[in-house]
Amino acid sequence: MGKVAAAIKVMPQSPEVDLDELQDRLEASLPEGAKIQGFDRDDVAFGLVALIPTVVVPDEAGGTEAVEDTFVDVEGVESVSVEDVGRL
Amino acid sequence: MSEDKPHQNLAVIGHVDHGKSTLVGRLLYETENVPEHVIEQHKEEAEEKGKGGFEFAYVMDNLAEERERGVTIDIAHQEFDTDEYYFTIVDCPGHRDFVKNMITGASQADNAVLVVAADDGVQPQTQEHVFLARTLGIDEMIIAVNKMDLVDYEQGRFEETKDEVGDLLNQVRFDTDSVKYIPVSAFEGDNIAEVSENTSWFDGETLLEALNALPEPEPPTDAPLRLPIQDVYTISGIGTVPVGRVETGLLNTGDNVSFQPSDVGGEVKTIEMHHEEVPQAEPGDNVGFNVRGIGKDDIRRGDVCGPADDPPSVAETFQAQVVVMQHPSVITAGYTPVFHAHTSQVACTIESIDKKIDSSTGEVAEENPDFIQSGDAAVVTVRPQKPLSIEPSSEIPELGSFAIRDMGQTIAAGKVLSVNER
Repeated sequence: MGKVAAAIKVMPQSPEVDLDELQDRLEASLPEGAKIQGFDRDDVAFGLVALIPTVVVPDEAGGTEAVEDTFVDVEGVESVSVEDVGRL
Repeated sequence: MSEDKPHQNLAVIGHVDHGKSTLVGRLLYETENVPEHVIEQHKEEAEEKGKGGFEFAYVMDNLAEERERGVTIDIAHQEFDTDEYYFTIVDCPGHRDFVKNMITGASQADNAVLVVAADDGVQPQTQEHVFLARTLGIDEMIIAVNKMDLVDYEQGRFEETKDEVGDLLNQVRFDTDSVKYIPVSAFEGDNIAEVSENTSWFDGETLLEALNALPEPEPPTDAPLRLPIQDVYTISGIGTVPVGRVETGLLNTGDNVSFQPSDVGGEVKTIEMHHEEVPQAEPGDNVGFNVRGIGKDDIRRGDVCGPADDPPSVAETFQAQVVVMQHPSVITAGYTPVFHAHTSQVACTIESIDKKIDSSTGEVAEENPDFIQSGDAAVVTVRPQKPLSIEPSSEIPELGSFAIRDMGQTIAAGKVLSVNER
């Protein structure tokens, strides 16, 4: 078993949320064993921009659930969804 | 990548250690999709060490290392093209928990390559993956009988493996007529891009030929609109903006739409995608839109948007086929785990276990069994504890599959057979 990379789409609570600061907060919130390898940004609509961090977690750790759970509690986050997963 | 060839999402499935990664690497290499600098680096090091030749494993290691270092971390980078198609590999991570993401995620596979090692045959994970492929609505499967080099390219071993896999496919009622079996060695490159002299007894297609011959996936534009709502915003100057991805059908400005189960509707005023106004959105598009007369509290995450004259189904109960992947004890009627379907997460009670399916024959093993457990497949009747919009998988497969989670694990996956509407 190796590691798994997941693209996790994080929607901010409003177009006014500062994405650089949100990025820092997400990075700081990571559970042990997970790491973020780069952020993408995706223009959605009406000024809303999604942050899409690529998160690497160990395959045996039980999936992306722990990361999803912590991200959703981060200030400024509206919702979290896994867009894509693949093994490294 | 340019847009001149159609695109396919290809799942590579099979038992751990049967050579999935090596096969993916080989496909990337043969179609010249391994980054040039990785090959160059390899050549230099090989020359330094004074050995020539191409060491495939080395390139694979390098790729893995690169991706981990973040140079080519983009998950979507596992892409290759053949004469006919652009393929994106949907690699299936080993851990069962990722099944949830496979079902609710964006990258649903169109077709699959099942990798079975000739020296090991059908293994438990082979069975599980084949069942999941069937459940996830994969249409066509190509069987790569891998590691032929380890069995001296013996035809007998290939035929044995073929029979084993054939039995398995029959069990899950996969349409076996169109299935192609190819003896390959991903490691040595036999029958991947070129016909191998090592298997002179085989006169079928190479793997790349078989991939080229796959039918073109039809985007589900003919199906009625189904757009599960991910989030609902209030944007100043615009009003209420639901955001989500179109799964099936088309969303047009001026359409009269309905949100279920919230049971409200109105006319679509504007649609935006990538911050630009568009007149229409199609399957796969992530959009925000606004609808006349809809307030922020009228709709919520988990609602599905569809045409007012063909609204999304809301289930009072539904019947489903499930496979139990892992559960510490047994599942009996009355069990109420959380069902994850599209953007919805709803606690649902398994009201009755109607049939247990024998996984070795595909036949009904027991009517109304008292319980099911890990490894069992069954037909169950489910009652959502809160309104849930879901569709029969035979009608709208994109809205017809789900994962069942409990105790922090994905314990089962399934597809909807029929919906008893509210």
